Amino acid sequence: MVRYTIILNIREDKKMKKKVLSALLVSAMTVSMVAGCGSSSSSDSASSDTTETAETEAAETEAAETEAAEDAESTDEAAGGENKLTVYAWDANFNIPALEAAEADYQANVDPDFDLEIIEQSQSSDVEDAVTLAGSSGDYSTLPDIVLFQDHYIQRYVADYPDAWVDATDAEGMDWDNVGAEKLSYSTIDGKHYGFPVDNGTAIFAYRTDILEECGYTIDDMTGISWADFISIGEEVYAKTGKYLLSMDGSGNDLIYMMMQAEGASQFKDGAIDIVGNETAERVIATIVEMAQKNVLYLANDWSDYTDQTIVGDMVAGVMNGNWIIPTIEQVSENAGKWEITSLPTLDGGEGYAANGGSSLYITANCQNVDLAKKFLAYTFGGSTVTYDAALTNGGVISCCATAAESDVYQQGVDYFNGQAIYAKIVEMGTNVPVVEQNDFHYTARENLGNAIINAVNGSDLATELQNAQDQISFAMGN
Amino acid sequence: MEKKKRGMSITAKQKTAGWLFLTPATVLLVIMSFYPIIQAVFTSFKTGSSANMQWANPLTYNYSRMFADTIFQTAMKNTFLYLIIQVPIMLVLAMLLAQLLNNKDLKFKGFFRTCVFLPCATSLVSYSLIFKSLFATQGLINTILVKLGIFAENYNFLGTPTSAKVIIILALLWRWTGYNMVFFLAGLQNIEYSVYEAAKIDGASSWQTFWHITVPLLKPTIVMTAIMSINGTLQLFDESVNLTSGGPANATITMSHYIYNNSFGNGVANFGYASALSFIVFIFVAVLAFINMKVGDTRD
Repeated sequence: MVRYTIILNIREDKKMKKKVLSALLVSAMTVSMVAGCGSSSSSDSASSDTTETAETEAAETEAAETEAAEDAESTDEAAGGENKLTVYAWDANFNIPALEAAEADYQANVDPDFDLEIIEQSQSSDVEDAVTLAGSSGDYSTLPDIVLFQDHYIQRYVADYPDAWVDATDAEGMDWDNVGAEKLSYSTIDGKHYGFPVDNGTAIFAYRTDILEECGYTIDDMTGISWADFISIGEEVYAKTGKYLLSMDGSGNDLIYMMMQAEGASQFKDGAIDIVGNETAERVIATIVEMAQKNVLYLANDWSDYTDQTIVGDMVAGVMNGNWIIPTIEQVSENAGKWEITSLPTLDGGEGYAANGGSSLYITANCQNVDLAKKFLAYTFGGSTVTYDAALTNGGVISCCATAAESDVYQQGVDYFNGQAIYAKIVEMGTNVPVVEQNDFHYTARENLGNAIINAVNGSDLATELQNAQDQISFAMGN
Repeated sequence: MEKKKRGMSITAKQKTAGWLFLTPATVLLVIMSFYPIIQAVFTSFKTGSSANMQWANPLTYNYSRMFADTIFQTAMKNTFLYLIIQVPIMLVLAMLLAQLLNNKDLKFKGFFRTCVFLPCATSLVSYSLIFKSLFATQGLINTILVKLGIFAENYNFLGTPTSAKVIIILALLWRWTGYNMVFFLAGLQNIEYSVYEAAKIDGASSWQTFWHITVPLLKPTIVMTAIMSINGTLQLFDESVNLTSGGPANATITMSHYIYNNSFGNGVANFGYASALSFIVFIFVAVLAFINMKVGDTRD
């Protein structure tokens, strides 16, 4: 390009000025374009996850984007650091305080020069997308040393991108038996341990005791009941107080999974979807439809509708989900002291236990210092009481390591929950959660079954809807 | 070399300069658009994890798969429903608004034009989120309707299949009518005022003037806006994702949204199938634009 402009330049005799000007313009434009190209391709690797973030969260401000770009750049630098690890994580109120606690613990007790750089992501799907992009391009250098990853997604991602992860079974000082078996069932693939547990996803059923009292019930009346009894109490509560006894995000309906697990059953059998003809599944789904039709259960349109409108908006007298929902419940300060927690109802009565949506930390293929990463994670999240005590105090993160849960902090009563020692209770409930068959297509099943429920609530025939959902799920699974 | 160059004729010189100016844009277009498009063709014949994609067996697996895919069929129906209902209403509204704002005697013309055009300056995501909060079960619209006594209790607009579709169409109308109006306004200003005067002298009513003078003279503009709107509606994405998340139960999902779900939703990363679906959308757009151009072309 530049050569041409020079030729143009030399050949001038008349109207020199005008031509020089145009030649200058052309070369300036060319140079700026080439420069633009060059710089964008050189920073390509660093900015891919930034672009990603920008795509999913298009409404984010420019400032946030710049910040993300800076973060991404520092990832590349950090990869070579001797005492430094980088980690992608989300949720500044929950997971990030836990990571900060681990960093402080490791600095204080092992290596004062250790540095953990936490790169905050706006949501869990940002981490998933970052792995997808890195895997698709075959270039894992964009990933940080460690990522926080959702338990229900990891099996699928290890199957799809086997080169993205590091087998951590031999991590020095890690006692895998110390971790709850149900938690490990997600992150253990073909007998290899990939993930270090962060939080305990044990499901709780929290009730507003003041509203129950208004209707003549106590928290004990709600413990170990059958879903049929739950529905009749729920109808009474709605009639008297106008509050729903339960709510859930209708498009991402986790009730099915939790209620099934409480029965010790799974939506999958031998790697295939198992709904039609699975008596437990059919009963669970029919129960959910009945609850929604009788105004016992409110199905929100989406996740923010679920958290902001139904829980923070004070529409409900009961919340059932993984215990990470507690910070959301606690956002309504005027209801302090009115909540208490218990186990889940079951189809035929008796206490039910389930878990939903925890996450774990995984070492990526881009980690330049695998030994340090293993050592750090094994020391802290492998069961350090210092880490877990601070994680619980600062972020409400409950451990699923048996030894950490023996700490005194877990025995303290929580004012918001009427002085109940909810953490000890959750750890105790967690030990009872049955291990059920997991599948890569967990979220596909959740989405399609959720849709079937919405359609059935709106009046279509449940059996037909379930057959459609089953067909759709096996279709998505490639059968 | 130098000598040979001197021998270049004026035309040859101009041609060289022309190519010179075209080169940067062409190179960028080839690298940024054409190369990825060709790659996408290959991807659409592959399956498997995106880290290790294999040729599909049979090769057309992704394409035959979509005929059995009920969600894609739903998405297709939804998209065409938006197209059939929204585009005609929007274009007629845009034309009427342009006609009103083209009135010579209208005061504060600039102000009104800005008002009608302003929605187009809003980001797609922000306006979707605003509509979402307006029509939420506890949102402003519900509160007003209940306070006025029109509704007995809050209505779940976005959670009911029919009303969710209606709201997407309303949102689209709000966002895009002003945009199309600007084209009509430009078209109207190209029509000689004397034509209208002549019609007036001949005793034509304003209704007749509109149908027999304005509409025929605006035909090129109508064809262009129609092609752009059809194209835009077939690729509808932001509203479906942000306003309704495709729900309830896929009742409002669009084709582009489904393609996105296949690439990034639910951790699926099924890029092969998503690329195949994209080419189907591409064919739809091409066919509809072709028909539109043929219908709109008045030359024999």
